[in-house]
Amino acid sequence: MQLESAYRLEAGVQVRNEVFGLLFYDYRGPRLYFVPSKELLTDTFFQGNEPVSDLLDRLVAQTRWPRKQIQDQLERTLDSLEGKGLIHGQ
Amino acid sequence: MGNRYVEMGLCAPVNVTWEVTYNCNLSCIHCLSDSGNRNVAEMSTDDCRRVIDELAAMKVFQFNIGGGEPFMRPDFLDLMDYAHDKGIVTCISTNGTLIDRDIAKRLNHPLVYIQVSLDGATPESNDPIRGKGSFRNVLRALDYLREWDIEVSINTVLTQLSFPELDKMSKLASDYGAKLRVSRFRPSGRGKESWSKLNVTADQMLAFSDWLSRHLGVSTGDSFFSVSTEERRSLGLNMCGACKLTCCISPEGGVYPCAFLQEDEFRAGVVPEQSFGEIWRESPVFKSFRNLEIKSCESCHRFDLCHGGCPAIAYHTQRKLGIADPGCLENCVKEKIPNMVVV
Repeated sequence: MQLESAYRLEAGVQVRNEVFGLLFYDYRGPRLYFVPSKELLTDTFFQGNEPVSDLLDRLVAQTRWPRKQIQDQLERTLDSLEGKGLIHGQ
Repeated sequence: MGNRYVEMGLCAPVNVTWEVTYNCNLSCIHCLSDSGNRNVAEMSTDDCRRVIDELAAMKVFQFNIGGGEPFMRPDFLDLMDYAHDKGIVTCISTNGTLIDRDIAKRLNHPLVYIQVSLDGATPESNDPIRGKGSFRNVLRALDYLREWDIEVSINTVLTQLSFPELDKMSKLASDYGAKLRVSRFRPSGRGKESWSKLNVTADQMLAFSDWLSRHLGVSTGDSFFSVSTEERRSLGLNMCGACKLTCCISPEGGVYPCAFLQEDEFRAGVVPEQSFGEIWRESPVFKSFRNLEIKSCESCHRFDLCHGGCPAIAYHTQRKLGIADPGCLENCVKEKIPNMVVV
């Protein structure tokens, strides 16, 4: 994960918000991925308009959780999604 | 599969099976919906667009299109374009007989999958089930689709007639660059009449389960989790997805738990008159289906692999829900064991 990067969905991938977090659908397969991200990530983040650093600032202000803890969670999640070919940084 | 997340309740189906018409140019003896003639109450083009608008707004990812024969609807390709413009993937189940070069060209879209039905590897085995000349016409359609490199599956319904042909079907699919998909025969529509004659025996179901575990490239959709072995655990569902991940819309707009339970008592609502979202969230039929527990299966060592199997088969064979799928692997094994009760 790069803090200055924004992330977009790969072609053929869709995402929507669910009560547990995010549900990804990959057209290749097709295959589903359940991401229990709760309020940390929402589907609009993957429109690619917001760098991770801005998201991080916003989440720290909103939740008052330790910055490092949120950053670690985001890094694990985004790296995993990128590794599965669902998103890409730009 | 993230069962625990599915059990929390999804805000919309992942995919919706949409039977767009009853009209069909074939008269297959196992047809799940007794298709033949168009029903005058079928949804208009505008109604279909309104349904697509709402499902797209809810972020339904995929339509599994069936019928009837979808290409019998004059507006069918326009409706598919409309869905694709909204980002919805369409998996079109067709008998293939109406696909010509022009239609194949139009189906060449990244959001389209095609599933062509074939129930035998030769005209001699296929045509008695699907109609004279249908085998030849399907192969012609496969040629046209291959010209555009369109992703295609050949779908075979598992019956006593198709079971001996599976290896040949697998080879045929491979020769056409297609995948083989095997679907479960269910006693709905015309399948009610042909069930006793066509449904596989317990021995055949056990042999099929073994065959599937050796052919991991063969897909089964939501059909055979009730007989899946460990080898296929990661390949699909391990429970019935009705009202949790999927549901069905009939040609008239009736909303049902699945394509095999299009009975009045399971009609959850009608679109577009009613909001699909409200039906999905609030319908008593859907709520009760989500809470369906098959208690008699919970102590079974295979419960984690099938969660009681297909409720539609249990319903159609015993007029009850909440009981074990009679064709599950465990029941097939029991059927083979002689009853040694001393009387």
